[in-house]
Parts: sequence; C-alpha cells; structure tokens
Amino acid sequence: MIAVALDADEAAVREWATKEPMSMPILIDKYHIVADLYGIVNVPAAVWVDEDSKIVRPADSIPGSDMFRSFTNVDSEVHHNLLRKWVRTGERDLDDQQVREFQVSPNQDLQLARLHRRIAIALREQGSDAAGVTVHLARAEELAPFDWTIRRGNMPLAGVDPFGDEFFKFVGQWSQAGRPGFKLGTGRTDI
Amino acid sequence: MTVGQIINIDGQVSAVELSEQSGKVSVSNSALEQATGWSLKPEGLCRDQVCVPVLNVAALSKADQVDLSEFARLVQQNIVIDAQRKVVALGEQAQIRGTEMATLEAPDFTLPDIHGRQVSFSDYNRRKRLLLAWSSW
Repeated sequence: MIAVALDADEAAVREWATKEPMSMPILIDKYHIVADLYGIVNVPAAVWVDEDSKIVRPADSIPGSDMFRSFTNVDSEVHHNLLRKWVRTGERDLDDQQVREFQVSPNQDLQLARLHRRIAIALREQGSDAAGVTVHLARAEELAPFDWTIRRGNMPLAGVDPFGDEFFKFVGQWSQAGRPGFKLGTGRTDI
Repeated sequence: MTVGQIINIDGQVSAVELSEQSGKVSVSNSALEQATGWSLKPEGLCRDQVCVPVLNVAALSKADQVDLSEFARLVQQNIVIDAQRKVVALGEQAQIRGTEMATLEAPDFTLPDIHGRQVSFSDYNRRKRLLLAWSSW
C-alpha cells in the first residue's frame, strides 16, 4: 500500500498521518501529480497495480470504512473483498478492456484547471501574493466545476469549511449535473 | 529580468530568470534545461535521447532566450503563464494523457514522504501495489 495525500497543507497531512502508527509510505502530492497521472477526481480513491506495473483496476471511490455510508451509499466491504481476492489469488474483477472503459480520461479544461491550481499552490508556498492564489484557485474552479480534487480540495486553501454550506452547495450542483466523476461505482448500493 | 518560477509537468518547481516582453515570456536555454530537461540544440528541442524538430527557430528562440509558449506547443504540452506574477506551469495535454492511460502502464512518480524523503512508486516494483489517494480535506 502506498498512500498519496492530494493536499497542499503538509501540516494537516502529518497530523492525520501520525494519528496511528502506519507502516505504509505516505507521500505528499501538493501539485496533484498523481491525480493527473491516474485520473483521480476525488478522494479517497484506489488504483490496483500488478507485479508487471500494469493498472489492473482504475481509480474509483474507495472508502476505508462505512463511516460516511449514509452520504456516499458505498458499502466499503465490497472493495475490501475484491482486493483480498486479488491479493491472495491474483483473480481480478475487471479485464483490461473494462479497466479502460472505467478510467476517467481528462478533458483540456480539467488539464488547464490543474495548472491554474499548481500556480496557486506555488504562489501560496511563496506566501506573499494572496490575491494571486485566489485568482488562480478561482480560475481552476471555473474550468473544472465538478472535479472534487479541485472544488473541494480548494476549500481549505480559500478558508472555506469543506464540510460547510459551500460544500453542500457544490454537492447540489454536482448532483444536478448527474454526479460526474468516477464511473466504476464499486460497492454503490444506490445504482 | 525577474526571478520567476517554472512548475514542470512532473510538479518540480524551479526558480529561473524569466523575461517578459509584450506578453511573451522567455527563459535562457540553460534555465529551460534546468527546469524541464529540454534544451534547444542544433538538431532541435532535445530531452534525454528524444529530439523534436524545430522548423522555425526564429519563432522559438532569439539571443539565447527561448519563448515558453512556442516551446510548449512544440513539445505538445499545455502551458499556463501568469506573466504578471512570473509563474509558469507546464502540463500534459488531455489527449496525450488519455492515450497514456489507455496503455494501462502504471506511470512512475516521485514525491516526498511525510518525513521529507523522496519516494518513487517504482521503488515498489515487482509486487502488487494498492495506490491510495486521500487528503485532509
């Protein structure tokens, strides 16, 4: 297991990552490079990669527990069971063609949104241009209004509560747009 | 010339001297190489063993300064330039990313861990890997 935090706030990552002792590497991806490489549009998400460095299950929403089940409608055990089976026997639930079908390919607007977000993070690291940070975070959100790593990921950077009114407003817009995002829906109990 | 930043396609940030003239932003050839690995050579724009032919050198480079928009176009990368704040971000084009994803080859990446050590996904090659993306938000 390799955990990657899509997070510009190193202190927050360390606080979470050291609550309990963990043996897996925990990496910090301020610029969301891994989201870009693997088509990750929300967290938590998981990708399976086999011994030959081949992607055998694409990025999908994978809650570690049922804590938010009433909100996500995801039974976390479904993925856990599929994962155990693959680890123990090598048996996959998807073939290569299905992996390709369920990948979330980006469009140019999303790719440009990621770059505006990266500029915002670089300016934030410099610490001297709050207006510049705001401009580029806002541009990223205009370009990718339904990508959670951008919309919700921006909230703490802009001083907005990621569980507050703005978040639920975003969820409403996202639902109205047909819940764009991961296509696989592992463990979803509402579809 | 002002010190600016280039955020490379892999997320590496380099401080470089950026020149701005009528909205066009350029860097020296050596700064380009430092920030991106690419440099202008007689055979074209080159990185490692790969060279991209440059048909119109004058559009790309004048007096050792390489125009970053033209550079991005030639190497088929997206670019966002904030000329006012002297920050430039390079990234993968959607179509190329989609093609790469469809190969199902797991791309490598290198990131710092929570102790500041650089860790690569390929450090764990030849075993099954579960890549977990999470966040504090």
